[in-house]
Amino acid sequence: MQILMQLIVSGISVGMIYGVIAFGYQLTFATSKTLNFGQGEALMLGALVGLTTVNFLIGNSLGNFWAYVLMLPVVLAFGALQGSVVEWLGVRPAMRAKSEAGWIMATIALGIIFKNLAENIWGRDALRFPSPLPEASLSFGGIRIQPMEIVVVIGAIVLMVAVELFNRYSIYGKAVVATSNDRDAAGLMGINTNRIITFSYALSSMSAAFAGVLVAPVTLTGATMGAVLGLKAFAVAIIGGLSSGLGVVIGGLILGITETLTGYYISTGYKDVPGLLLLLIVLSLKPSGLFGKAAIKKV
Amino acid sequence: MLKIDNLVAGYGKVKVLHGISIHVPKGKTVALIGSNGAGKTTTLRALSGMLKPESGTIVLSDKNITGLTSHEITRLGLAHSPENRRVFSTLPVMDNLLLGAFPRLTGMRQKGDVDGDINRMFELFPRLKERKAQLAGTLSGGEQQMLAMARALMLNPDVLLLDEPSMGLSPRLVEEIFHTIERLKKATITMLLVEQFAAAALDVSDFGYVMENGHIRTSGEASALKNDPAVKAAYLGGGH
Repeated sequence: MQILMQLIVSGISVGMIYGVIAFGYQLTFATSKTLNFGQGEALMLGALVGLTTVNFLIGNSLGNFWAYVLMLPVVLAFGALQGSVVEWLGVRPAMRAKSEAGWIMATIALGIIFKNLAENIWGRDALRFPSPLPEASLSFGGIRIQPMEIVVVIGAIVLMVAVELFNRYSIYGKAVVATSNDRDAAGLMGINTNRIITFSYALSSMSAAFAGVLVAPVTLTGATMGAVLGLKAFAVAIIGGLSSGLGVVIGGLILGITETLTGYYISTGYKDVPGLLLLLIVLSLKPSGLFGKAAIKKV
Repeated sequence: MLKIDNLVAGYGKVKVLHGISIHVPKGKTVALIGSNGAGKTTTLRALSGMLKPESGTIVLSDKNITGLTSHEITRLGLAHSPENRRVFSTLPVMDNLLLGAFPRLTGMRQKGDVDGDINRMFELFPRLKERKAQLAGTLSGGEQQMLAMARALMLNPDVLLLDEPSMGLSPRLVEEIFHTIERLKKATITMLLVEQFAAAALDVSDFGYVMENGHIRTSGEASALKNDPAVKAAYLGGGH
């Protein structure tokens, strides 16, 4: 029982990371019906820029904790900028040309370029990210939790709640929702919907970069860290539904927990299988996702 | 106030408007009538930038707005209540109204009294006040139409374009909508009204334009058009 609880707790923090990245997929899908297939690379770049910033600040005799705190705004700003570049270079030209698949190729291509860039700047080896909190596990009734795992869960929730509050209470947030509802009608309200789509890409990559620096102290960082995370989060976005905010959290938790359970009870070699099986099952039975609203396609 | 000169527009290679000219004077209501497929909706779409005109000019309050994007045109004071209402269905009624005032709330158009205008909308459409916290997608067709009109009015527009406000509504609601248009006219709001109910539209308008296959067939004072035998036979017959 205790082992089961331990596995579930570990699965939760992994699952929340998947949830945040999948949340990023949702943000751009809502406004533009496009996705950044380089989302994993946005996470990786965020983590590596964060690493360099943290190391620089620690080199200037700052403690691990404050270096981490001061690094956050730098990484968030970098993520937003990187997302804007992806939208501007990869998505906008394809949308202007009314190309159905151009943005898929373009965002994958940009992802590969970012990965190569990172390999040249930071090398190919996995790097250790200094943890802002003590790495010794805390024990709750025998269940061991790393302090950073708690930060992951809190950070993920704070990010998603902040975006939700922005959408609900600020006029710019309402403009984002209006654009997701009906882009032409939003234009008639005087909303520059091109700018809203750029903004949603900025926010999406910012979420990924944030997820990167949340997960980095728990795992390791490196140019290759993004690909698998991005793919799994994509599965989570499909499982949870691209249009349901709550769905990605639950989808993320389902995937995170089944992974740790499979890794322990069956074999770590198979730990990626159940999530992808689940993806296939959901796609065939309920393509809009477990929590998604069925899309009604007008003809 | 709104002057359209020799406007040509269409979808891809298919031309729908073949050079139409319409003048909407300040404070007046102008009806654009004609049968299905004549190009009435396309005209409004070209005016508000939802469709790029191929040639011709559109002048709004002395500013040439030809070829601008919809958000630019809206910020300059042209509000468009589009065909099929297009309310933001996952947002509450209140947020739909606030979005109508988006340029005013974000410093791109003179702000004025937004809260006061929302109250005026609730006076004009009491049903919206009862439903202000309800999601727009859950409203009835008539209520959605009222919301679409109120949302467009929240811009404090110089010119209001109304596309088929009566479409799909019960006779009682159609009457209610036309009463509202009369009240807006009394408040000297400049309007261009596209309608299938040609007789009713001419009744509330100062001027009328009759459209046929992308051309303006005839135009004149609304009262004169109503008595024009050709117009009567084609558009004011028993069907409406």
